[in-house]
Formats: sequence, C-alpha cells, structure tokens
Amino acid sequence: MVFNSFTFVIFFAVMLALHNAPLPWKVKKINLLLGSYLFYALWNPPFILLLWLSTVVDFYMARLIADEHRPARRKALLAVSLVLNLGMLSYFKYGGFLLENFTVLLDSLGIAFQAAKPDIILPVGISFYTFVTLSYTLDVYRRKFAPEPSLLNFALFVTYFPHLVAGPIVRPEDLIPQFKTPHRATADQLRWGLLLLSLGLFMKVTIADGLLADTADLIFSLPFPVQPLDAWTGVLAFSGQIFCDFAGYSTCAIGVSLCLGFVLPDNFRYPYAAIGFRDFWRRWHITLSTWLRDYLYIPLGGNRHGAFRTYINLMITMLLGGLWHGASWNFVVWGGLHGLFLCVERLIEQAGLRRAEAGEWAESKPLVSRASVVGLPGNQAVRRFGLALLTLFLVNITWVFFRAPTFDGAMLLMLCMFGAIPDAPVMLTTTAILTVGLVTVGLITCHWLLRDSSLVQLARRLPGWVLSLAWAALLILVILTQKGSGSFIYFQF
Amino acid sequence: MLLTKQTALLCAGLVLAFVVSWELYWRSQNVVLGYNDDDSRWAATRQLIYQSTPTRPVLIGSSRSKFDIDLETWEQIVGQKPIQLSLNGTSPRPVLTDLGNDPNFRGTLIVDVTEMLFFSPDRSFPEKEALRRVHHYPHWSLSEQASFWISEMLESRLVFLDEMNLSLGAFLKKLPIPNRPGAFGGPVFPREFEVVSPDRQSRMTLAFLADTTLQNEVKQVWVDVGKYVPMKPAVGAELLAILNATKRSVDQIRARGGRVIFLRTPSDGVMRQAEKALFPREKYWNRLLTHTQTTGIYFEDYPELRQFTCPEWSHLAPQDAITFTQNLIPVVRPLTR
Repeated sequence: MVFNSFTFVIFFAVMLALHNAPLPWKVKKINLLLGSYLFYALWNPPFILLLWLSTVVDFYMARLIADEHRPARRKALLAVSLVLNLGMLSYFKYGGFLLENFTVLLDSLGIAFQAAKPDIILPVGISFYTFVTLSYTLDVYRRKFAPEPSLLNFALFVTYFPHLVAGPIVRPEDLIPQFKTPHRATADQLRWGLLLLSLGLFMKVTIADGLLADTADLIFSLPFPVQPLDAWTGVLAFSGQIFCDFAGYSTCAIGVSLCLGFVLPDNFRYPYAAIGFRDFWRRWHITLSTWLRDYLYIPLGGNRHGAFRTYINLMITMLLGGLWHGASWNFVVWGGLHGLFLCVERLIEQAGLRRAEAGEWAESKPLVSRASVVGLPGNQAVRRFGLALLTLFLVNITWVFFRAPTFDGAMLLMLCMFGAIPDAPVMLTTTAILTVGLVTVGLITCHWLLRDSSLVQLARRLPGWVLSLAWAALLILVILTQKGSGSFIYFQF
Repeated sequence: MLLTKQTALLCAGLVLAFVVSWELYWRSQNVVLGYNDDDSRWAATRQLIYQSTPTRPVLIGSSRSKFDIDLETWEQIVGQKPIQLSLNGTSPRPVLTDLGNDPNFRGTLIVDVTEMLFFSPDRSFPEKEALRRVHHYPHWSLSEQASFWISEMLESRLVFLDEMNLSLGAFLKKLPIPNRPGAFGGPVFPREFEVVSPDRQSRMTLAFLADTTLQNEVKQVWVDVGKYVPMKPAVGAELLAILNATKRSVDQIRARGGRVIFLRTPSDGVMRQAEKALFPREKYWNRLLTHTQTTGIYFEDYPELRQFTCPEWSHLAPQDAITFTQNLIPVVRPLTR
C-alpha cells in the first residue's frame, strides 16, 4: 500500500478510529500490528513470512545473546542473526547480480558457464527492515540496552507501517519506549501530522510525479545523445524528483505516525543547501547515514587509526552504502563518488586546519562551515551559498550514475552535459525546461532559507490564515495533479 | 500551539470549496464524464482474457481499435462484449507476445494493424507504453486493485477526475509556449477528441464532431508527428525479426486452440497517403499474412468497410464506429468458427 492511494485513505481512517477508540493499550498495539501486516501484505502476501522470520529470529536471538556470557557463544549467536538477515537480503537483492558477475568472471577466464536466469522478486522494504532488526541485535550484543521482553512491542517496532517499507530507519530506542506506555496524538499533534502528510503528498504527487518524473524518465531512457540543456534539465529533474519522492515518503511517514501519537526521527534536513559532502550526509537520508556510521564506519575503526585508514574506512562505508541502494555497479560508482568527495573534502579541511594552526591564514580568517575550511574572498554568505551550489553541482553529477540504467548510459549523458557531443538533437519542450528550472530554483531557495531552521519554526512565524492558505494550496495542487498511485522510488531499494 | 483548530478548519473549507467549484465549472463547460485509461484499468481488463471465446474476442492494437470497434454494438449483436486491450499510440506486438507466452490464454484475438506502429522496431517509442503495461500487470497489487475500485466509483461521479485532460500536467502541456526548433513534446490532443468509457471504449465527443477547428488541430498533430518523429519502416532483417516474433506468438496461441485475426481499420486523407507510401500493402500487410499464415481483414477489400470518412484522417466517428462494427461482425464470424 502506498500513502498516495485511495486504499491508504480508508486504511488510515480505520487505523485512526481504532487507535482512538476506548480500547486497552495492548489491544491498540495488536490493532497496529495487524494493520501493519495488512499494509505490507497488500503488496505481495507471501513475503510477510520473511518479515515474521526476521522478527522472530531476532527477538529470540537477542534474548539468547543477552543471557549468554561466553564471548565465543555470543559471537556465534550474533553470527546466526547476521547470516539470516544479510543472507535473505543477499539472496533477494543481490542473487541475480552476483550470478551475473560470476558468469562474467568465468567468461573472462575462458570458462564457458551458462547460468539459468534467476527469477527473484525483491520483497518491498527488505533493505529497510533488515537494517532495523540488525541494529536491534547489534545493540543488544554491545549491551547498549537489555532485550525487549515483549514480542508484541518488538514485532510492532519492526513492522510499524509508517516506516516499514522505506524508512526512516528507526532504532530501537526511537520507537520501543513509545510502545511501552499508552500513546495517543494530541489535537495539535494530529493537525501537525495531517499537515506533514499533506506536505509529503504534495512533494511526491505534485512535484516528483507530476512535474519532474516525465522529463527525467525521458532523458535517462534515451539511447542517443542530446543537447547540453536537455541533458542538464533531465539531471536536475531527477535531482528534484528523487528528493521530493524520498523526502516526501519520509514526511508522510512522520506525519502519519504523529497522527497516531508516535514520533519518528527526521530523515531529511534541506540537503540541497548542504555545504560540502559531510554536511550533505547529515541532511540526506539521515537515518541511513547514521546507521552506516554507527554499525559500519565506527566498527571499521572510523578515524581512530590514522589518516590513511580513515580514508579507506570512508570509501568502504560509502561503497557499501551505494550497494545497499541496489544490485548494480552504477550504485557502487555513485557510492564511490560520494566517498571520494568526502575524502577530498577531508583532505582540504585537514590541510586548511594545519595551515590555520601555522598562522598562514591568520589575517584572512578562513570560512569554517560544518564541512569545509576554505579560504575564499568575498562576503561570507555569498561564499557559503557558492559552496552550497558547488556541492549541489557535484551531487548532481553523482545522480547521473544513480539514475542511468547502465554505466554507458551514464557516461553518454555526462558527455552531453558538458557539450562533448556536437549536433545532438533537442528533445525537451520549453514548458518542460521552464518547469524543471522553476522547481529547481524553488527547491534551492526553500532549502537555503530553511537550512538552519525548521518547518515548526516557520509555522510559528506565520499567521494562522497564511498557514491555512498554504496548507489548502498543497492539497488543491495534489488533487489537481491527479497522478495515480505511483510507487515511491525507494521501494525498489 | 502551532496549528489551531481554526487553521485546520479554514484549510478544509478552502479545499472543499475548491473541489465543489472546480467540478461545477467543468460541468458548466459541458465536459463529458470519462474514465482514466490508466495502468489499473488496463490490468483489470487484462484479467478478463481467459473468458475470451470466438464471440468474445480480445482486441489488441492502438487507438484505431479503441475508436473504431464499438463494444456495445458488438454486444448487442453477438451477446458478449469484446475485451479491449488496445493502447493509444502503441504497437500491439508486446501485448501479442505477452498473450502468446500466457499458457492459459486460448481465446480469439483480433490484432489491429496500424503499420507505422506495428512495424516499429523492438524497444522503440511505440512499444514502450505497451511494454510498461505488460510488465506492470503481474505486479498489480491487491492495494492497487482496491484503489482502482474506489477510483472507479469517484470517476463515475466527478467530471474533473480526468488525468488526460483536466490535470495539472495536461494544463502545462497545453500552455502556448513556443518550442526550440526541432523540439517536439509528443502529441497534445484537444480534450474534446476522446472520452473513455469504463470498458476502455474511446469515442469522439459531439463537440469535436461539430467543430472542424478541433478536427484540424488533430490533423495538425498527425502532421507534426510525421515531421518530428520520422518513420523508418523496418526492412530486411529487422522486418524479418518482427515477422518471426509475430509468427511465434500466433503459433503459440494457435497451438493452444486459440485464433488470431489481423485487422486493418480505415484511415484517409494525408494519413492514408503517407501510410501507402511508407508501408506498401504488398510489402507489409500481405507479407505479414503469408509469413504468419493468418487470415486478415483489410478494410479496402470489403465495400461495407471502406465507406467511411475519418474526421481527423485516422479514427471513425462514434456513429460510423457503430456501422463499421455492424458490418465487421459478419466478416469476422466465419473466420472464428
């Protein structure tokens, strides 16, 4: 079930009614759990078995790990959980990819091998709920907290429908404590939740699907080159589409959850106003980047073993982060580019700090942002905006590899963007170019103006009638767009 | 408190007022109530193919099949309504392949052949939409099915729920902003041109039939398509591959006891001249029939099928579609026995 569907409207109304009915707290939680299974099963019912398997195994494995004091046995029990979770993920998500690359490898060695093409369907949300259950087992193993005694609370934590299929990737401490005591949304939470749901739907239905998807789909599907303006418009369209699609889903999820009285973590914080890549990853898919930081980068050693190991750890983290998005070398390239930019940024930052310590920049006072130490002339706000645009430019380069169906397709589009192919045909209408241009400028402006603020702060500053008008405009535009219940891009990950 | 009760109520009131006035406005413009011909409607129709019999054929093809074969007339004469799976602007070959590969399909198939679509190369633009729908069908989820039935209920009551003509995207497409030389955003038809009914029948509106300016607009669309999307008729090995793939699917259906008939519906004016020049009958239509050893109905071969004029060169007016269907059934009937 997707948030932008009539089915969800009815489902959500029923869930809200049940959650606000005078029923015992345990019954309300059972309602939420059953509703969440229904929410998931309406895609592909058999895959609910995987969800149950993951839930039950991790619940009991965590209890066994907590009760066990012999290190070797604890490790073995953890390994069972990891093998099961990552094994399922690998089979469903990477089975075909691994087999394909194995075949290519054997071919390159001169060994003829013809593998049967596996017909594997990717269960929706498997990457997300696998990370959710993994974080629980790993935290119990690290003795960060005791295992949850209630299977109901744990199952609801894993399955809770707002975050189940595309995040935010919740941590046990985010959600389980909220299930322990009765929660019901206050009137203010309910209204704020509905506003967030409206905003999320507007981002997904109107901007991502209604205004940008067709242009991005057209340009990325062409097997021939196009003019630089068309190529850039296509890339910018996808840049806006992927943000509005994914952040739109997260905003809907947070809003829906708030209507039920539960708070989910933020997943996006105006990423297209990021200054540098470290800043970008503090603003883009925050729950994934913190997951990768806590369960991959830091266990690898983080920055504790010298400069060289730090760069290696960064690259490993980002390469695997790329691969998490999908079974394709293009995602690896995307992750690799982000890793590379993070490394370069760190190099510049370290060099700047060393020079600042040596007093070379004592007079010029380098611009120190969260991510960068760069000495540039001019007004500080202008410099910061310039760096944000540079970051966005590089982020857009990485999106080419993320979206293009093949590596060759990505390289062709890159050549087009930089005018390396003369006499390529024009493809897009002026309306499409203007639409993408206006949406892009609008997005950058909103992100820049809100980068150090929040929607709550903005809402506090606005008079009530302005908020009403803005909220109504969002809903009217959603109704006007009339796009069918298109899937969210991140469901495929 | 961030959002007061008044803020929420004012918002709800504004949205409700907009929806009511928007609906009333379009009703006052005499807009005919139609249905969205989307993925779900196609998938819901695709589910019916196993009920196909010689009197209840499955129709695949492009918009000509949807405009020219009147489903209600067919039902009145034969007793059963055909299953309409044709898709505007697409080649029927991806759907033919899909039905050929479906081991449970044993029905009767009428394949509309619009040469410039049917003989377009694999994976070309005319195939994309058909391929997309074919690939979507096995993944048509229970949730989408439920949404479709709710949407159906709303679409049957609200005129403004018309994604093709009255959505934000449709309005943007119709903005009179000139394009760069060489840029073509695809055909944009006047909203009066087509109204779709729940069974996927397409009909021109009375307003369209009464207004030659609107008809000329559509004629201009065909001229633009010819200008910006130059046809490259498949020849040689490419044509042979198309014929072989078609034969494979036809043979698969026949092997299971099904029947396949090719149908060429009327066209005229500049469109007909271009079709004749680019796709001479002996090189394409005749070769298709001989290669696949299949029977075909070419409108020009039957006096009762060639008496029609297409208002915009390519499709029949609703009244002509009724007569065309009445005349077509006696021609089809002996071929399906």
